[in-house]
Amino acid sequence: MKRVSFVTVRKRLIFTLIAGVILFTIMMGRLWYVQVVMGDEISEKAEDLWGRNIPFEAKRGEILDRHGEVLATNVTAPSILVVPRQIKDPAEAAEQLSEVLSLSKEKAYEKVTKNESIVRINPEGRKITNDLANQVRLLKLDGIYVAEDYRRHYPKGDYLSHVLGFAGIDNQGLTGLELFYDEFLSGEPGHVSFYSDAKGRRMPNLADRYSPPVDGQHLKLSVDASVQTIIERELDEAEAVYNPDGAIALAMNPNTGEILGMSSRPGFNPEHFQDVPPEVYNQNKPIWSQYEPGSTFKIITLAAALEEGKVDLERDNFHDPGYIEVSGHKLRCWKKGGHGSQTFLEVVQNSCNPGFVVLGEKLGKEKLFNYIRGFGFGEETGIDLQGEGKGILFDEDAVGPLELATTAFGQGVSVTPLQQVAAVSAAINGGNLYQPFLAKEWIDPLTGQTLMAQEPVVKRKVISEETSAQIRSALEHVVAKGTGKGAFVDGYRVGGKTGTAQKAKDGRYLENNHIVSFIGFAPADEPEIVVYVAVDNPKDTLQFGGIVAAPIVGNIIEDSLRAMEVPKREDQIEKELMWNDTPLLEVPDLIGRTVRDIHESYYDFSLEVEGEGDEVLLQSPEPGIRIHAGSTIRIYMGDKSPPDQ
Amino acid sequence: MPKVRTTPDLILVVVTVILVIIGSMMVYSASAVWAEYRFQDPYFFLKRQLIFVGVGLAAMFVTVQVDYWRLKQIAHIILWICFGLLVIVLIPGVGLVRGGAQSWLGVGAFSIQPSEFMKLAMILFLAKYVSENQKYITSWKKGLLPVLSLVFIAFGLIMLQPDLGTGAVMVFTCVLIIFVAGARISHFMFLAGIGAIGFVGLIVSAPYRLQRITSFLDPWQDPLGSGFQIIQSLFAIAPGGILGLGFGHSRQKYFYLPEPQTDFIFAILAEELGFVGGTFVLLCFAVLLWRGLRIALHAPDLFGTLFATGIIGMIAIQVMINIGVVIGLMPVTGITLPLLSYGGSSLTLMLTTIGVLLNISRHIR
Repeated sequence: MKRVSFVTVRKRLIFTLIAGVILFTIMMGRLWYVQVVMGDEISEKAEDLWGRNIPFEAKRGEILDRHGEVLATNVTAPSILVVPRQIKDPAEAAEQLSEVLSLSKEKAYEKVTKNESIVRINPEGRKITNDLANQVRLLKLDGIYVAEDYRRHYPKGDYLSHVLGFAGIDNQGLTGLELFYDEFLSGEPGHVSFYSDAKGRRMPNLADRYSPPVDGQHLKLSVDASVQTIIERELDEAEAVYNPDGAIALAMNPNTGEILGMSSRPGFNPEHFQDVPPEVYNQNKPIWSQYEPGSTFKIITLAAALEEGKVDLERDNFHDPGYIEVSGHKLRCWKKGGHGSQTFLEVVQNSCNPGFVVLGEKLGKEKLFNYIRGFGFGEETGIDLQGEGKGILFDEDAVGPLELATTAFGQGVSVTPLQQVAAVSAAINGGNLYQPFLAKEWIDPLTGQTLMAQEPVVKRKVISEETSAQIRSALEHVVAKGTGKGAFVDGYRVGGKTGTAQKAKDGRYLENNHIVSFIGFAPADEPEIVVYVAVDNPKDTLQFGGIVAAPIVGNIIEDSLRAMEVPKREDQIEKELMWNDTPLLEVPDLIGRTVRDIHESYYDFSLEVEGEGDEVLLQSPEPGIRIHAGSTIRIYMGDKSPPDQ
Repeated sequence: MPKVRTTPDLILVVVTVILVIIGSMMVYSASAVWAEYRFQDPYFFLKRQLIFVGVGLAAMFVTVQVDYWRLKQIAHIILWICFGLLVIVLIPGVGLVRGGAQSWLGVGAFSIQPSEFMKLAMILFLAKYVSENQKYITSWKKGLLPVLSLVFIAFGLIMLQPDLGTGAVMVFTCVLIIFVAGARISHFMFLAGIGAIGFVGLIVSAPYRLQRITSFLDPWQDPLGSGFQIIQSLFAIAPGGILGLGFGHSRQKYFYLPEPQTDFIFAILAEELGFVGGTFVLLCFAVLLWRGLRIALHAPDLFGTLFATGIIGMIAIQVMINIGVVIGLMPVTGITLPLLSYGGSSLTLMLTTIGVLLNISRHIR
């Protein structure tokens, strides 16, 4: 056969070869594209397909007081995880697990054969002890993992529990700060991931990858543990003495809005919150309760009247016949027969209702309500906790003379304890309304460095510095000479105001059932702390704030200021003595004097003499300290050393 | 005809042996997990593959000795036998259904795919027929129409199974033979038009094919359905990177990629040996193509030229379709990778055929 067109055949063969080479080159290019250019992107998707994650819980951030004392922390409590498809002998595994974890064999078998990639054993294998976890580890069962986990621990028990709240089994914040700051406290969980084949079993020869959890940040509170301890102690004692329906105490730094302490009764232990009814742990009373403030509210009326120049406390006088008539109603003073003729300073000291009605009338409803709103009533204070109450004010359009009159002395409005503390702080700190807060600093758990620090937030200026100074002085008078004497602390210049509010139920006031309260601050020249205490329906006592609540506030202020190392003041308004008071006297300097000499001086103290000799060598207490009249001074006698010895 | 034989094309022999060795290794690596799971023996598929390699190499040594023009004499008979088998395999109850296609005849391991044989029979027959009637090749009526009708009938029978992959390889190979023989380009244009119409017709008749086509363009559209195999294949290839995960370290062979030792063996290879390994295999096939076409170019007669073209064309086309599918360049069809995939009839037939090619190389001018 003749090959007529061999040239054509040859051309076409060469063309075929070139086409083939081009096609192979395209394939290599595509391979490069998939493996190198797109490699990482596609691989990432593939990793998702292969990877199975065993979660590693992040450590929840600790909660500390302002000085670093631990209030909430974690203890390790591992959890058991089951990867059923990796279990070789389910019956055997179930048997061994059921023995160690003390759960039924049936349940164990169900867990290890469940058609899920990762199974938890609830609750028997959840947050168990290290000891138990080690026993599970020693079983060396394929497909059974011990995952690091933590349980929340509150080392101080009931302490500050409403504020701290608690975290649930998944380390998620459920109430209080644990809930409010859950995002920061909880951190990011990490995991160990192993490669799994398409049947869910562990792929051999591949190392597990560990991506560590990011621990939550530590939260440093504004709370001062020593102040809180004092508050808790005082509330415990109040509970024991008065058996009240409830009690509230709140302490704040008036110059910043930092909450120094907060507590209420009934309390609970965050680790055993199930032991109490939900309303106990869900209601943080210092921010949630709303009730008539009673006389403590008069501070607002006073502030408004002073700022508006409607009253001169020293010069203006008022006669109280025991009642005042407002649009046909007789509003009674708490004191039968009235306080008679008095200056307005005495009106404040005596907490005289008719006097405040007059102040309210002088202001008029518009001005008074402007100040009430200005001091933050009727709105949330904005504290960093959930469940805050707003309070209830009269609808201004519906306010007639009667409503104006009762509002002026604290009836017919409803406020929260925290609102009162914030408002009174503004009244005495120079006029600045601060937003109260608890979270002072966020701290990096690894480096210990401060990541974020809360600066005080001034919401607005309500009154002037001069007005504020007058209020401080007036309220110091209340404690030294008026209804607040129970809160007097020598040298600390306590100012304050009592409050006694009738509780209302179904629109009617209850008989002999009051919330008695006292709000105090100190020192009056430069306040460092505002303390509010309310006792709900104290038993077997006169239900007056001055009798029940004021002494508690006095105790809290005295011990707290000492703990905060605030020095005592020299120039205070001296306490007006009551029939059962003994005056405070300065201890004289007795050193170097003779017994005979001392006796002739008629000091109001008794002496306890030790040692032999003519002269006083040492004395206790030391000169200058103030003690109650009739107290004992110990002196140590000796002979004056001869100069030649 | 010249009786003088020289040594066969040694480069072709070496490359073939290299590919068979790589294939056996990869069959072992890709199948071990599945073999262990299914048969409790990781070497299950390797053992069988090595037997097929032995049988295939033996057959190759035989065909290397048999002068290729002798096959000319039995081309008709073989073709008719294959047509017969293609009809028989379609009889319900006689042909075995595997993977949704009624493509197999025989019992268990001793079964064959008639379409595989038809592919070769058609190459042989076409090489003979066209070389004897080359003067008509430029004519539509006398040259192309009879040939194409024959190919179309065979293709139709194969598509009744259906086995698109094998059918496509056969048609493309036949077109290549006719092209090399010197048919007119204008006729090819016409054929391309017909092909396009036929292609549309096939899609209309079975819409799942369209889904296969769109799925290769964007497999993530339907990741658990039509895109599943492509995605699993890309999940194997992509992490391989430049150097691969190392021999035996595939992750996708752990039941993610279905039957990784057959159609998708190149994916496992690219995963374990990386871009370097994948490119090496592609280069080997390119060398194979070069040597094959060189043999065709220097064959002593037109029959030898066209026969060699058909054989090497079939191998190259099958390689391109298989790897094209695996790397996501083409829709999924389902054919094996020559010399590498696991499979008895595929491998032994391939080696036998290469033996024929080698015999042609012994007679080159």
